[in-house]
Amino acid sequence: MSNLEILTLLELAEGSPRDRARQRAGVVVAARGSLVRWFGIIGQRCLLLLLFLAVWETAPRLGLIDVTFLPPFSEVIAAGWQLAQSGELYDDVAASLLRALSGFLIAIVLFVPLGVLTGWYARLGDLLNQIIEIARNTAPLALLPVFILLLGIGELSKVTMVIYSCAWPLLLNTIAAVRQVDPLLIKSARTMGATPSQLFRKVILPASLPTIFVGIRLASASAMLVLVASEMVGAKSGLGFLIINSQYSFLIPQMYFGILGITVIGLAFNAILEALERRLMRWKAPAV
Amino acid sequence: MTPAKIRFEHVRKEFPVRGKDGGPAQSFTALDDITLDVRTGEFLALVGPSGCGKSTLLDLLGGLTTPSSGRILLDGKIIEGPARDRGIVFQQYALFPWRTAAQNVEFGLDIAGVKARERREKAQHYLDLVGLSGFADRYPHELSGGMKQRVAIARSLAYDPEVLLMDEPFAALDAQTRETLQVELLRIWRSTGKTILFITHGIDEAVVLGQRVAVMTSRPGRIKQLIDIPDELHSETEDVRSLPGFGHVRHEVWSLLRDEVLKAQGSQVVALGGEPVAKAKELAHV
Repeated sequence: MSNLEILTLLELAEGSPRDRARQRAGVVVAARGSLVRWFGIIGQRCLLLLLFLAVWETAPRLGLIDVTFLPPFSEVIAAGWQLAQSGELYDDVAASLLRALSGFLIAIVLFVPLGVLTGWYARLGDLLNQIIEIARNTAPLALLPVFILLLGIGELSKVTMVIYSCAWPLLLNTIAAVRQVDPLLIKSARTMGATPSQLFRKVILPASLPTIFVGIRLASASAMLVLVASEMVGAKSGLGFLIINSQYSFLIPQMYFGILGITVIGLAFNAILEALERRLMRWKAPAV
Repeated sequence: MTPAKIRFEHVRKEFPVRGKDGGPAQSFTALDDITLDVRTGEFLALVGPSGCGKSTLLDLLGGLTTPSSGRILLDGKIIEGPARDRGIVFQQYALFPWRTAAQNVEFGLDIAGVKARERREKAQHYLDLVGLSGFADRYPHELSGGMKQRVAIARSLAYDPEVLLMDEPFAALDAQTRETLQVELLRIWRSTGKTILFITHGIDEAVVLGQRVAVMTSRPGRIKQLIDIPDELHSETEDVRSLPGFGHVRHEVWSLLRDEVLKAQGSQVVALGGEPVAKAKELAHV
């Protein structure tokens, strides 16, 4: 190895001399400042949220908004606490989660493999393309009455709705993912004697995973949207039912609490998927 | 005389192309009547003007396509499809971004069904060989271009191919890294004794690396001439680029290439009204 090369390696490992000097000088300041900065960052991120909640709390109390239509935040939480104690909240959340998760997971199991096949076999892609285009441009909610007519108002119609709405983002992203795999990687694996099945498992799948994940995250958002809507139309439990039923019964704080529930579930879904994505795709260069 | 490791016999490759303005389909001849022997353990550099079919030649050798006529023999046997007796190093590295450096080196062994422990040992050995001992767990995006190409070379060597085919492997690197890697490659070649076919468009690179330099004609690609490079130009200690012999050989290759570059660029140069010779000089210097 030449001297130049060694120097480069050293720099990579330790940072250039100038960097190191700067780092040492910064250590003391950093230790003192880190705690303050940490609180600062948390404060900055939550600032808008805290402001929003403060306005929500005070505006109805000051009479800026009719208390009947927008109860203060604390009252919404109190109503939620009552719902939780009566066990009603647990039933609704459990019902919604079960429908959303089962539909979402079934959709992944069905449509990711189908998408991979469609992306890989161009002829199958040509065959399915038209059907996919028609179906994905038919808004799932427009089909809600059809599903209820055919499958009743029980769990089946709701889970089917979720599956249907998840199908298109999953399918389209998976097809695109497989088609976008760098041909050079395929060529390189082939020259190393990879069999078609090895090529598929060791190159196509890992290479398409990031784009497949885009589809999975879109599908999760779509699952929640469609679930709430279908629970509002015909259901006896679930958060969508809680929201619409509270509104009909004029239990406005409960209605707002139902909405908050949807938000929390959505955020939790997203956080879990993000964590999973980070774990599976540690090899990706951090986005700049 | 050492026996031929790779033998091209009157190899011709045509591609079908769509006719102009909806006309009848035509064929495009990329390579024509290539006849060439690469000796066992030899380092052969192949230079040619851009578009002369260098990469087609490599695809044929790799077994990714088949010749339209003629045949290619490896150790006297006709090449039928890709196999691990040939390792290919590509210009754009072609590393798998989801595998660490070591896992990339292991790929060919993994495909071959080699057990995990043996794979890891070999990967470490070849990473050591290319000077990346401490980088086994880095992902490709954490490596510089030169390091990526080192990993790619280690990956191709790991499954112990008979020959190493290199398709302009250093073209995307900066000048300093390129020179370092050229020296390293010669060292690896000497220590492993592999037969190497090195495709390049750089005259200096061809002369520095090759024991022989094959100059190709412009499209359709043929072998125009084979030039023996004197041994003194492969000294491990001297700066070979400053030797008078280097200038002579370099000029010889350059002269052979000049006409081909002119031919390849002819129509464009005439259309632009430029000076053909100046243009050729510029192109041949790359």
